[in-house]
This record gives sequence, C-alpha cells and structure tokens, in this order.
Amino acid sequence: MSDAVFIPRFRRASDDSPLMRLVLIAVALGGLALLVVMPLVVVIGQALAQGWGAAIASLASHDAWSAIRLTLLITAIAVPLNAAFGIAAAWFITKFDFRGKAFLITLIDLPFSVSPVVAGLCIVLLFGANSTLGGILIAHGHPVVFAVPGIVLATVFVTFPFVARELIPVMIEQGRAEEEAALTLGASGWRVFASVTLPNIRWALLYGTLLCTARAMGEFGTVAVVSGKIRGQTATMPITIEMLYNEYLSVAAFSMAGLLTCLALITLTLKTGLELRHADALAATRRH
Amino acid sequence: MTRRIWIARSPMPGRGLSAGITLSMLSAVVLLPIGALIWQGAQFGPSGLWDVINRPRVWAALWLSFRLAFLAAAFNLVFGTLLAWVLVRYRFAGRRLVDAAVDLPFALPTAVAGIALTTLYAPNGRLGGLAAQIGWKIAYTQWGIFLALVFVGLPFVTRTVQPVIEEIDTEVEEASATLGASRIHTIRRVILPMLTPAALTGFALSMARGVGEYGSVIFIAGNIPLKTEIAPLLIVIQLEEYNYDAAGAIGLAMLAISFVTLLAINLVQIWSRRRIGHV
Amino acid sequence: MHIQIDQIAKTFGTTSALHPVSLSIPQGALVALLGPSGSGKTTLLRIIGGLEYPTAGRVLFDGQDATNMSVQDRRAGFVFQSYALFRHMTVFDNIAYGLRARPRASRPAPAQIAQQVTRLLDLIQLPDIGSRFPTQLSGGQRQRVALARALAIQPRMLLLDEPFGALDAKVRKELRQGLRDIHDETGLTSIFVTHDQDEAMELADMVVVMSMGRIEQIGTPAQIRQTPATSFVRDFTAA
Repeated sequence: MSDAVFIPRFRRASDDSPLMRLVLIAVALGGLALLVVMPLVVVIGQALAQGWGAAIASLASHDAWSAIRLTLLITAIAVPLNAAFGIAAAWFITKFDFRGKAFLITLIDLPFSVSPVVAGLCIVLLFGANSTLGGILIAHGHPVVFAVPGIVLATVFVTFPFVARELIPVMIEQGRAEEEAALTLGASGWRVFASVTLPNIRWALLYGTLLCTARAMGEFGTVAVVSGKIRGQTATMPITIEMLYNEYLSVAAFSMAGLLTCLALITLTLKTGLELRHADALAATRRH
Repeated sequence: MTRRIWIARSPMPGRGLSAGITLSMLSAVVLLPIGALIWQGAQFGPSGLWDVINRPRVWAALWLSFRLAFLAAAFNLVFGTLLAWVLVRYRFAGRRLVDAAVDLPFALPTAVAGIALTTLYAPNGRLGGLAAQIGWKIAYTQWGIFLALVFVGLPFVTRTVQPVIEEIDTEVEEASATLGASRIHTIRRVILPMLTPAALTGFALSMARGVGEYGSVIFIAGNIPLKTEIAPLLIVIQLEEYNYDAAGAIGLAMLAISFVTLLAINLVQIWSRRRIGHV
Repeated sequence: MHIQIDQIAKTFGTTSALHPVSLSIPQGALVALLGPSGSGKTTLLRIIGGLEYPTAGRVLFDGQDATNMSVQDRRAGFVFQSYALFRHMTVFDNIAYGLRARPRASRPAPAQIAQQVTRLLDLIQLPDIGSRFPTQLSGGQRQRVALARALAIQPRMLLLDEPFGALDAKVRKELRQGLRDIHDETGLTSIFVTHDQDEAMELADMVVVMSMGRIEQIGTPAQIRQTPATSFVRDFTAA
C-alpha cells in the first residue's frame, strides 16, 4: 500500500500535479466556506439563539406577518407581469425581423446595470410628490411612491430582464420552423403558441421565473428607496429585517432572514435540478 | 419603391400584440423612470450637477464605491477563475454542492447577506473576533465593504469562465506538452489567454454590480462620511432629507459609471470575438 | 389547383432575393424549382405557401388573388427542409395536429382523426410508428411523417422544401419514388425545391431553373436537357 505512493503514476498532459490540485481545491473550498457557508451558519445560529419557540414567535408577530404577506403580494403581482413581458419580448425579438433588435435587447438588459438605489431614485423622481405625474396621481388618491404600486414597480424594474434573457437564446436556437409548420397546418396564433412554442420553452420559462421570484422576494435597495418603510404597510420582508436589525432585535431579524434563506436554498435546489435534468432545454450558457 | 419598414411583414401571429407589450412595458418600467432622472439632470444643468458632485463628501463616496468595486472585482477575477477551474477540471466529493453554492450570492437577498456578514466579521463575531486578535478590523471599515462586494460579485467571473473552460480542447494542452512546455508554462501561455476575455467580462459584470450595491454593504460599512460611506447610501440620505436635486445629481453620476461599464463589457466582447472567434 | 405567380419580387433589406418572376403551374403538375443556393427558389416556395410576403406582385390560386391570404387559409401542405416535426409530440399527434387545429364546427371526432392518421401511416408505409417520438425515427422515416402530416389537412397543394436534402443517397432514391407515387395517387399540384438536377429531371413533369433570383428556363426535363435557354442552364444541368 505505502509503496504505491512512490510509483510515479501516469499523468495525462492535461492533468495538473497532485500538489497543485490539492492547493487549488483547498483555496476554493476555504474561500467558499468563509464567504458563503459561514454566513449561512450564522443566520441559522442567530435565529435559533433562543430556541425554536422564540424564532417562531417573532415570525408570528403582527408586523412580521404583514411583511410576509406584503412580500408574497408583491411577488405574486411582479413575477407574472415579468413572465408575460418576457414571453412577449422573446416572441417579438425571435419571431420577427426588424431594425434595432440589438439595441432593444440592450435596453431590456439595462436594469441589471443600474444600481438598485438609482432605480428607486428614478421611480421617486417620476412618481414622487414633487413630480407632475406623482402630484396628479396623489390628488386622485393613487399614490405610487411610499405605497404598494411603487414597490411593485420597483420589483418589476429590478427583475425586468430575468425571463426575457432566459427565453431569447432558447427560442433563437429552436428557430421558427415548428411554428411555421403549425401555421401551414391551419393552427391559429394562440394555438401555435400554446401547443408548439410553450412546450418547447417550458423549462426555460420555469428557470427564468424561478430566478425572477427569488430576486423579487429579496429585493432591498430599490424597495428601501420607494417604500418609505412604513411598518405594517410598506415594509417588505427584507425591509423588516433591516428595521429589526437596527433595533438590535437579533432573533427576530435573523428569523425572518432565515425564512428568506430557506427560500434561497429551495431556489438553488430547484435551479440545480433543472440544470441537471433539462440542461438541453435551457439557455446554452448559464450566465446571468 | 421599397418602403422603409421597421418590422418586416410576416405570417407569424402576434406581431402587434408582442411588440405592443414589449415596447409599452419597457417604456413604462425602464425608460420613463430613467428618463425622469436624466430630465432632472438636464434641468439642473452641467454647472448645477458639478456643484453637487464637487463636494468632498460626494467625491469621497463615489471614489470609495468605484475603488472598492474595482478591488473586489479584481479579487473575484482571480478567485472566480480559480474556482471555475477547480469545478470543471477536478473531481472531488461534494463538487456538485460546491458548484450550486457558487450561485448563493445571486439567490440570497442582499439584506440577509449584509446582516450575516456583519455578525460574522464584527469584532465580537466569530471570524471578526479572530481577526481582531491580530489587530485586523474587518466590519465597519473598508475591509468590510470589500468583503461584501466580493460576496455579491463572486458568481459573475466563475459563471462566465466555466463554460469556456468546458470548451477547451485538451488537445491544445497536449500539443503544448509535446512541444516541451511545462504544465505551469502551458497554463500561463495557453490556457489563461483563452480565458481572459470571459474573465474580463465577468470582472466588468462584478464591478458594475459592486459600484451600485447597497443592501449587503450598508450593514457592514459603518457608514462614516468621507471614510466608509458608499455613493448609493449618500443618495438614500439625500432622499430622506427631501434633497431631490442632490440625489438626482449623484444618481446621474452613478448612471454614467454604469453606462461606461456596460460599454466596457461590450468592447471586451467585440475585442474577444475578433481575436478568438467567440465570446 | 392551378397556381400562378405574377411578377413576384422579394427584397430582404437592400438585397434582392427575387427579381420579378412569373410562372404558371397547371393543376396536378409535379414541378421542381431547381437552382443553386441563393437562387431564390426557397423564397419563392415560401411565398406560395404564405410563409413569406412578397415585396411586389401577386399569387393566384385558380385565378383568384391569394397574395394576402393567410397561411392558415391557404391549406398548403408544406414539408420543411429539416421537417420541423413537433419534438414533444408523438408521430400520431404530429399527424393529427392539423385536424385537431380546425375550428370546432369542422373538427373531426377523435375516432375519425384516429382513422385518418392510421390511413396516412399506411400510405407512408410506416403503420407501427404512431406512438414514437420524432427523435426515435430515422431521417427517411421523419421525412415520410412530415409528408403524412402535411397530407392530413387535405391540402390544396403540396410544397416541399429540399425534401431529400437531409438524407443519404440510398434512402433518397427510395423516397423519390415514394413522392412520385403519392403525387400520382392524390393528384395534388406539387412543387418541390431542389439543388440536385438529377432529382429534378427524374421526378418532375416540369422544371423551373432559377439563378440569382431570376427564372432562367421553364420546361420539361427533356426540353431543359436538349435546348438549354441560357449558358447557366447548360452548365448547371451538365454538372
């Protein structure tokens, strides 16, 4: 057994030396442990610092419950809106030929490169009490900023490209021939979409929607600016985490953080599952 | 004779509907709000904008956000490439799990990441306590901001470089070896140049994210003006004081940084396409 | 059906895919559009099928202007170059698709649909593959399924884009005869696109030689071979 160590094993030209492998794997795992794993442990540890009872009681409080409900409501509005937009945009971009297509794609991607705070600022400038539009809306009893519509708008803004940029590469790769075949067979537009396109993009659509949902539930910066952070009214889960943390209510803050962490872990699991089982039906690259 | 048509006529259904939804939502959600910011800046005028930005506190915040985003992206450039290499080339127990964990910063809400990192790296935290013993203060200093930005930018480089490593033909490495090159030489002269364009794209994405990052940073930063106050926080402070003009001016400056970064990403990709034939 | 192409032109952006071309295809003919790639033959076929709109000119079916008729209303049995079978449907569902897509009033009952599909599977001599998926078929089988799917809607014409292009030489020969048989049996006006002059000459009643978006010559295979109208036709058919 110990002799084997001294026999130089055949190493292929594309293999790294055992020492290099060891060092690189150690650096990679160590870095991830410090950056990713430890914070997760901290969240769970702090949430349960006073036992399960305290954690669950903090989540059952009135403010916590209203934050959870608000976040679910916002997500339930924003995600379908973005899924509908993503499908429409991907259809428009991949099924038709027009000038300025690349520019349109750049515009759709724009929210990814804008700071969340700047996005919130833009919405405040457009719909805030100081603006013409905001003034009219408030006069008619429909405030946007510091109210639910503003949070929805903020959430739709930051998650805007998720579904579209997942669908576009998949639909480009699949081409137009199947849809054309369905048309020549007499199918109506909706039927072509429902019976031919949708089955071909369903995994990619699910994937994009999943990422969109995770981001929608967790968005902080943009919502912090537009929501006004009114407890029990416009405080979403991430905003509530901030407020509780700043009030040194550690267990309550980390319990809610733990809830969002669980959602993030579920998202990751589903996402990984989709990547393993339906890799061929997803966008060729897994870039974000 | 030929009319200049924007959208070519096609028997595909849903042209009007899909174009209508796309353009109206894009306008309402993205273009109008950003337009409002630019409009605000235009009314303010260049000299007005300059007056706001040319104050020590604003300069310090913009420079801090830009500099630390750059440094964090540079760290991720190295660490992210290393991570991608390990994940694609090496087989070890738990590799799948590690691969999935790389995406956690994308999935975890920034506020959660913020309070978790702060608690962990604060002087009384587990790791912060260890660091404090050697006199290294992490949370509430620029190190803390750096750490948070490394966290949020971590997946970008790995996820852009990974597919490129997967596509490398091992024959290229074998060719290098038959020509007498050592493994280190092959990595430096053959492999790394192939990864450079993708890694730079990931770097730029990570940096763009870092410059604008807010949620994960504000908890750990300490937020001391001139020292650890990031630009997005300054906007929030101005907004809380109903100082819309100043907020708008700083916002425009950040938007400009975003556009420049976006432009840089595109230039890198054009350059790499010309040089290597793919992105 | 009698198909007339009247001064059809098509431009994509600034490039001209079809200069005005005119062509009359009598009822029941089997016509080959023959030419090298980029000659505009596929564009012309897609315009007849309603998948592309001409920049100028008219398409007439039995003397009636059909230029603006929707692709669905044309009822053109179209066989695509790579067949465009629906990947997520079985062969049976693929063939039944057009029948099920009909408006409720004219949609056959499920039993009738099943009967029709079975009849078509017999016609293409693949009676047992109804429950398979397209990926489980050979290239030749896919082509025949695509043909059956196009025939299921009781088309008014048959349009085939390089129907043998993706097949190897042996299968190609077999399926040529198959297409001829189906054409003779149904009596449908049929147009197929090909770049293979042997295929055109052997199979078609009438050959339309195209080049650079123009029609070089229209004639029977014998006429084209014996009296080529232009030097292009002579060179292309001599190859």
